[in-house]
Amino acid sequence: MKRWLKLAAGAAALTLATAGCAGSGGGDTATGSGGSDGGTLTVWLMDGSAPDSLTGALNKEFEAAHAGVKVNYQIQPWNGIQQKLTTALASDTPPDVIEVGNTQTPAFASDEVLTDLSADVNSFNGSQWLTGLKASGEFEGKTYGVPFYAANREVLYRKDMFEQAGITAPPTSDAEWLDDIAKLKAKFGSDKDFQALYLPGQYWYTLLSFIWDNGGDVAKAEGKGFKSTLDSAGSKAGLEFYKQLVDASGTTAPKDNDEATPQQAGIYGGGKVAMFIGTPGEVATAAKTDPSIADKTGAFPIPSKTAGQTAPVFLGGSNLVIPLNSKHADLAKEYLKLLTSTKYMSQMAAAGYVPGTSTDTSALDKDPLGGVMAKASKNGRAVPTSPKWGEVESGQNPLKDMLTAYLTGKKSIDQATADANAALDKIIGG
Amino acid sequence: MTATKVVPMPAGATPPASARATPEKPRRRTGIGERMMPYLLLLPALVAVLVLLGWPTIQMLGISLRKLDLHELVTGKAVWIGFDNYTEELTDPEFWSVAVRTVVFTALLVAATLLVALVIAVLMRHLNPVVRIILQISLVLAWAVPVIATTTVFQWIFDQQYGILNKTLDRLGFHSFIGYSWFSTGASTLAVIGLLVLWQAVPFVAFTLYAGLLGVPREQYEAAGIDGAGPWQTFRAVSWPAIRPILTMVTFLSVLWDFNMFGQVWAIRQGGPDGASTTLAILQYLKGIAGSHFGSAAAIATIMLVLLLLVTGRYVQLLVRSKDGELA
Amino acid sequence: MRKSLTQRVTLSVVGVLVALLFFFPTYWMFTTSLKTPGEVLSPKYDLFPTSATLANFASALTKPGFVTYLSNSLIVTLGAVLAALVVGVLAAIPLARFRFKGRKGFLLLILVAQLAPLSALFIPMYLLMRDLGLLNTLPSLLLVYFATSLPFTVWMLYGFINGIPYDLEEAAMIDGCSRAGAFRRVTLPLLGPGLVTTSVFSFITAWNEFLFALVFMQDKPKQTLPVWLSSFKTAFSVDWGGIMAASVVYAIPALIFFLIVQRKLVSGLTAGAVKG
Repeated sequence: MKRWLKLAAGAAALTLATAGCAGSGGGDTATGSGGSDGGTLTVWLMDGSAPDSLTGALNKEFEAAHAGVKVNYQIQPWNGIQQKLTTALASDTPPDVIEVGNTQTPAFASDEVLTDLSADVNSFNGSQWLTGLKASGEFEGKTYGVPFYAANREVLYRKDMFEQAGITAPPTSDAEWLDDIAKLKAKFGSDKDFQALYLPGQYWYTLLSFIWDNGGDVAKAEGKGFKSTLDSAGSKAGLEFYKQLVDASGTTAPKDNDEATPQQAGIYGGGKVAMFIGTPGEVATAAKTDPSIADKTGAFPIPSKTAGQTAPVFLGGSNLVIPLNSKHADLAKEYLKLLTSTKYMSQMAAAGYVPGTSTDTSALDKDPLGGVMAKASKNGRAVPTSPKWGEVESGQNPLKDMLTAYLTGKKSIDQATADANAALDKIIGG
Repeated sequence: MTATKVVPMPAGATPPASARATPEKPRRRTGIGERMMPYLLLLPALVAVLVLLGWPTIQMLGISLRKLDLHELVTGKAVWIGFDNYTEELTDPEFWSVAVRTVVFTALLVAATLLVALVIAVLMRHLNPVVRIILQISLVLAWAVPVIATTTVFQWIFDQQYGILNKTLDRLGFHSFIGYSWFSTGASTLAVIGLLVLWQAVPFVAFTLYAGLLGVPREQYEAAGIDGAGPWQTFRAVSWPAIRPILTMVTFLSVLWDFNMFGQVWAIRQGGPDGASTTLAILQYLKGIAGSHFGSAAAIATIMLVLLLLVTGRYVQLLVRSKDGELA
Repeated sequence: MRKSLTQRVTLSVVGVLVALLFFFPTYWMFTTSLKTPGEVLSPKYDLFPTSATLANFASALTKPGFVTYLSNSLIVTLGAVLAALVVGVLAAIPLARFRFKGRKGFLLLILVAQLAPLSALFIPMYLLMRDLGLLNTLPSLLLVYFATSLPFTVWMLYGFINGIPYDLEEAAMIDGCSRAGAFRRVTLPLLGPGLVTTSVFSFITAWNEFLFALVFMQDKPKQTLPVWLSSFKTAFSVDWGGIMAASVVYAIPALIFFLIVQRKLVSGLTAGAVKG
């Protein structure tokens, strides 16, 4: 019995001690003690963005130039990043430089939790910013995000299969593209696992290209908000072409899933697919299945319905921002200045990305697949810069539901686009 | 406890020794130490629950009456907007259809979980040791595998093109399953999610019930056996009263978990297709967390809490009352 | 209790079938972890693996930080389970064995505490930990896991103690045991299975928790295994074989934990049988 009481009392004392902290801790947070780590600049970049060689050299150079300053560099995983950033911004010692996805940036900018960088644009190489990314970092005339890098999609194809099917040059229009699909099917169609084009039903980034190419758009700015335009003639034409491709290609990809599940590059790596739409980086994933596939792969820009042109592409990428609560905003700006310099931007290009603050893509052009991407990026476009667009992507994307409903024949094109339009308006409208 | 009285005894069977606590006579010893002891023993748990769960919950209730977006969270501003967050949800017809779907899904899932687990628990008791250990190991494996892995594996098994299930069905002669999508409707998507949850939840419930069955002293079974009770009678007279409190407990817990479940539903189809497998937890994420509208998130969470209280209220009442009565 | 041979065979067959059903996804996870990326997405029929590679395991285990994450996970999980068990038993005893004022209220509190939707509590919890100055420290996670499994632990143990006849304890007290001695010698051994299921449950819940671990721990060296596991998925590629191999590795500590407590379960049972 006595032993029990001792144990109980001990446990109680322990819990009380914790509770005591709770009582006193709440009061003195306002004063904060962030000053204690004065010399540390915390930088968060995303998993898989800047290569280690770049950040290693960058942090070394920065520390050398700023005596007494240490860079605390952390790589963040993509999973759960929204919650992680949200809470980190609310902490007493938020990171000083953060990489934020370009479609997420308007939400952060409109919530006034980022440092206004309008006055520093020029010191970040402002004249050379990638147009398609620039708008995502701006809100009501002010600049909050600096373009970091972008990637866009192109058609990756098997040069050897094209040759065997008698196709001498990559298609330069939608019509030619469909012709080539027919030729590939005629040549390899006897293999039931063959797919001339792998195209999953919910690949909405690709749909964007077709919508834009047909003169449609996702939404248009109206007043201070946005109005969905998925039911416009152009948007419908884009959706129809998507279906035409799916039907013509004989793809066995799921109609109710996107390019990530199952991972399209892995399927391309299996060797039974002649084309897929993706970023050059995905070829490396395919090469994990079949190392020889990289040499057999070529690229051409997503064709346009107008012969000789290429379709506009969605620019996916990231911006760099400085949280409003940063204790070292000035140091952070110095850091951005260095990172946005041509020297490091060319390293981003060499890593396979379209650089955000430099028009010099020579390092990217060295790679044939990268060169095609860099060229297409000039015709790159972005989703509406609505602060709520992040919710469209992180939630139930109406564009995906629209695609599945139309491709599976569950809804007519009018019904599918009208429903998607209403659903999208519910999120970004008004 | 009432359960013991309700269950009819087979004629001639020895009534099982009460598995319930015999009343403690408060008169026996009433020193100060004796009277204080319950409180001392409870204190650590009480403090922990109040500080670490109670306080955040109260804050959540407060947040539900505020507009708390990223801006307010970072700047620490409190913008009180009354019940706006609530009226916005409660007047949305979509909210109500999701609520009904969640309740139905939870009810079916809980019933299935309990039934399967109970059968397995009873089965474990009657199996020979070797088979029992094989069964236990496979249950433990199912339980120990991380949720993220299980979910991925299930997605794969049910994949329309490369899934082993469709491939196997094709081999067995059901060729229409080539390229069949198990996620084309909300109902079939929820059914797959249900299987996934069942697979993860049954081991715990089965082991808990099994542990309850083992807590019954062996001679009670022997007594029932000697008295010529059949297996069903023995189950009803001996096993059932012993596991009933545990069964109600796991029912309650399963209701909570299944009702609030987020990860599995989200991972399979993010509440799709076309929102047809969206549950309240998903809705809370979509409307609240995804867009950093923590006021809305808190309001939906509070409504969920109230719904849960309505669903389990009668049970909570019964539980507290009967447990209390049993000591009175 | 006597069963005929056919009955026993039927039971065994049913038992094995159920075991297979529950084993299959685990089996599938394991065989997938032995596949090359090409085999994972192959149209071939592969219920039984035709070849195996350990490359996924090698790449999973050599991913930087594995050992750190593993020890972090073990510290917070075991710490939380232990704390919840100790505090839980302490609270369950008076609930089951005493009658006192406020008992009903506490029971209600424990029940209602479990209704709290954790996904909505992460903001208040985050603010609490921030104000306590515990962010970015392992104790913050330990406390959260302890707190979230405590009501459950108390509730379960209360039920288990309730299920153990008090007559046995009383008999021991008549034999000269103190109240504590009677509890320790009679009820505690019989409580074995209850302690096991309860602790395995809190172990697995804490072991799998992702969101709080991700949000509370800002520095990499302080993160836990679920966060490590999610790093196999980047924006542009998913290493499925790697995820499966990592999942196998990740499930092992949970299995070991179960095996350890399993022995306790058996000894608890025998003790119970002897006393009973």
